[in-house]
Amino acid sequence: MSEQSTHAPAVGTSYIRTDLEGKVLGTAEYTADIALPNMLHARVLRSPHPHANILGIEIGSATKLDGVFDVLTPFNVPEGKVAPDVPILDSRVRFVGDEVAVVAAVDIDQAKAAIDLIDVCYEVLPFSTNVHDSLNSASFPIHSEGNLVNGGPLIESRGSIKEGFDQADYVVEDSFTTPDHHPASLEPRAALASWHGTRLTVWKPSRGIHADKNILASALGLSPNNIAVVGPAMGAGYGSKDETRTSVMAALLSIRTGRPVKLELDREEEFLAGRRRHSTYTEIKMGLKKDGTITAVHAKTIMDTGAYLSSGPGVVRRAGQGILYLYKCANVKYEGQLVYTNTPTAGSYRALGAPQGHFALESLSDKASEILNMDPLEFRFKNHVGPEGQPGERTTPRNQIIDTQPVEGGVPFSSNELRQCLKLGAEAIGWDRRDYIENAAGPIRRGIGMSMFIYRGGPGGQSNAEISLDQDGLFTLNVGFMDVGEGSSTVVIQMAADTLGIPPAMVRINAGHTDKTPESPMTAGSTLTFSAGHAAMQAAKDLKDAIINASLKLIGLGDSEGLYLTPNGVKSKCGESISFLDIVHNAGPIKTLASVTPGSKDYIVNSFGAHFAEIEVDTETGHIEIIKYIAVHDSGRIINPRLAEGQVRGGVSQMMGFTFLEDMEIDPHSGVALNASFLEHKSPTIMEYPQIEVIFADSIDPIGPFGAKSLGEPPCIAPAPTIANALYHATGVRINDLPLTPDSVLLAMKNLL
Amino acid sequence: MDSHLTSDRVDMDDNETTTKFIVNGREHSLKIDNRDTLLDILRDHLRLTGAKKGCDLGECGACTVLLDGKVVNSCQILAARIKDKDIRTVEGLSQNETLHPLQLAFIENDGGQCGYCTPGFIMAAYPLFESEEEPSTEEIKLSLAGNLCRCNAYGSIIDSVAYALEIKTNE
Repeated sequence: MSEQSTHAPAVGTSYIRTDLEGKVLGTAEYTADIALPNMLHARVLRSPHPHANILGIEIGSATKLDGVFDVLTPFNVPEGKVAPDVPILDSRVRFVGDEVAVVAAVDIDQAKAAIDLIDVCYEVLPFSTNVHDSLNSASFPIHSEGNLVNGGPLIESRGSIKEGFDQADYVVEDSFTTPDHHPASLEPRAALASWHGTRLTVWKPSRGIHADKNILASALGLSPNNIAVVGPAMGAGYGSKDETRTSVMAALLSIRTGRPVKLELDREEEFLAGRRRHSTYTEIKMGLKKDGTITAVHAKTIMDTGAYLSSGPGVVRRAGQGILYLYKCANVKYEGQLVYTNTPTAGSYRALGAPQGHFALESLSDKASEILNMDPLEFRFKNHVGPEGQPGERTTPRNQIIDTQPVEGGVPFSSNELRQCLKLGAEAIGWDRRDYIENAAGPIRRGIGMSMFIYRGGPGGQSNAEISLDQDGLFTLNVGFMDVGEGSSTVVIQMAADTLGIPPAMVRINAGHTDKTPESPMTAGSTLTFSAGHAAMQAAKDLKDAIINASLKLIGLGDSEGLYLTPNGVKSKCGESISFLDIVHNAGPIKTLASVTPGSKDYIVNSFGAHFAEIEVDTETGHIEIIKYIAVHDSGRIINPRLAEGQVRGGVSQMMGFTFLEDMEIDPHSGVALNASFLEHKSPTIMEYPQIEVIFADSIDPIGPFGAKSLGEPPCIAPAPTIANALYHATGVRINDLPLTPDSVLLAMKNLL
Repeated sequence: MDSHLTSDRVDMDDNETTTKFIVNGREHSLKIDNRDTLLDILRDHLRLTGAKKGCDLGECGACTVLLDGKVVNSCQILAARIKDKDIRTVEGLSQNETLHPLQLAFIENDGGQCGYCTPGFIMAAYPLFESEEEPSTEEIKLSLAGNLCRCNAYGSIIDSVAYALEIKTNE
């Protein structure tokens, strides 16, 4: 902040979320809320088979039905692709619910009626609903290159695990599984497309309108210049939206019929055709010296990507990051396999693989500390990666930006307050009393557990921002990213306002339309505060200079020294001033565009945290009650405390579903999803919401904008291992397979006896 | 699978009835298909899209409105049940640009993230706000137990409702 500022800075305050008013009034417009004149409604025919070739489709009766305008089938669509392994429609279906045909009709009832009249001739193929069957050499290939993506695992390593395990006094190992976890955002996917002669406009829930524009262009063989993608308010996606055929199907129907076409998925379709968190099977092994030093870590993960690849390669990489980097260790190896199955597709879901990898790692750490006869917290204090980073040699050339998911050693962190997180959390939960908890007679057992994490800190790809001083004397920030409910618009406005030296209420945001905004990174990888923040700051800095330069002549000064912005305009040290309105009236609106690729060539930018929980386990019912939950995060400087706390509390509660409840069950005999509804796929309700105390470590990252690092995804990483470790402390039962349902707790307790 | 994903409504006979009902104080007389739900009538006929279609099965609460003052999932109310009824939606809460205290409380306590569940939560909390009782936190939670928030902003939602009740008491 400039010392000359005449008002309080916005960064660090809980400035009210900019888009909340429309949401409470019911006027915020989501994709499904939009209706256009002459709009048709589309409906998808989905495969009843988990794996089949479509030999033929009879659509004659459907097309003859009143009010039916078009039917898309694999045999009448162009050859473009939505993703490398996803044609617009395919004559092979790969899971129960895969798209077969799409109807456009005057209303949804006629579209549904037409769907019933389509006759499909299937050649049913052998199928697999789990990774182990898929990897069996006798299994039927789901894609031509086989069921193991790239024919082998992703391998990342540092040092030599052989040497590491040779040095070990103890080796501790175990295997862990995590379930198919569905984001099940409350807004089902939808798309509205409108073709006007040569130009296509698509409204859709989007985490990256510019990226979506390019997908549509490539799939439909159109120039990106002839496509506009509009991102209305989005009923969240947690990273999972969109990656599906939805918008491409609506667009093609609109192009063919010349009418606007809306396709809304229903709840069951959202479960089936949306994207889920990859289920995993992980074998993990740790070598230890008697004094508790870790000599080696080795993990092998198999991830179920379902019918299509989606963002699987990124997810499999991120599942390894904790394994490779959370503990100081010279010898580590991670092997991640991605395997096709005939089940709904997995993709990006908040924290991409990190919760799965950390569940295995942090459960194993507690086991390791037990073998060492060491307190689990002490084990972490001894071994957590410190500010200096990992041992070893830097391999990234000196002139290149350091990856936010590094493998190499020899590179320090820009900031690392993991130790502070451990201390603050231990104090808040009262870790000291952990060894002295006394259980009363009866079935209730109390326990305390913890775990820690590491995650990407925010640097993303190139980010652009444009900011202008407008005719009305106010400012507009033009950005191509989407605020999907996490609050990025609000925090970026706060940063831009402080850079200019004006109140945030003077800055409007214009986002969500590819024609009107410069490109920004997707709302993914917890990057927006960092990347979009840097771009907005740079644009604001340039605008400030431009405004001051413009005002020089107007005020009659020769030198910009001592000029600064106030809420009313530009002022000089000597008291001369000119209002923003006068500046634009004389000099016209002023606009600056900044393009930045934030990151560091010298430091790793990562976020950290530690979670602690005290729980009560009813040993008669298997029910686990959270008594106290403490989430401590090093996300650098917190730009907006209330929004940040909301992200953490929401993320922790969302992951209580992963920990206790949620698992999309696929019948192995039919490939049918058994619980594709909110009634049967249990998600946490307000009744399950535990008290969650959020603590932010005192941390200012020297590279982050205003000292900030990532926060959107990190809250999701530690909840499951924290609870599993508390369960072990309370009962002596360690459950390696999520979710921790009452059934599984009771069964594990029975096996213990 | 088939039963969920394929049509249950092929015939388009004359199933339309002219129905009178009140929405947000305004009387409507509309020719509506008997098989339409209140949610479809609000969204498609009246273009009141504050109530959302999260599941269309009465499981998520995103379509919550008031029917003669009672909280209902509008996706589970067939057209025949709204004859002469008084319906209130989130669009009917604010008056002349003035936010209802519940709406104000949701803004001030950051009671929504993506906002898709927000109108439903506000309408579900409405009778509690109107009642003479001073509900406990547990009672607030119980009254909102039929509404899902997948952002899990539950903590801020509880804070918002409690804050609205506090504003009311202090007035």
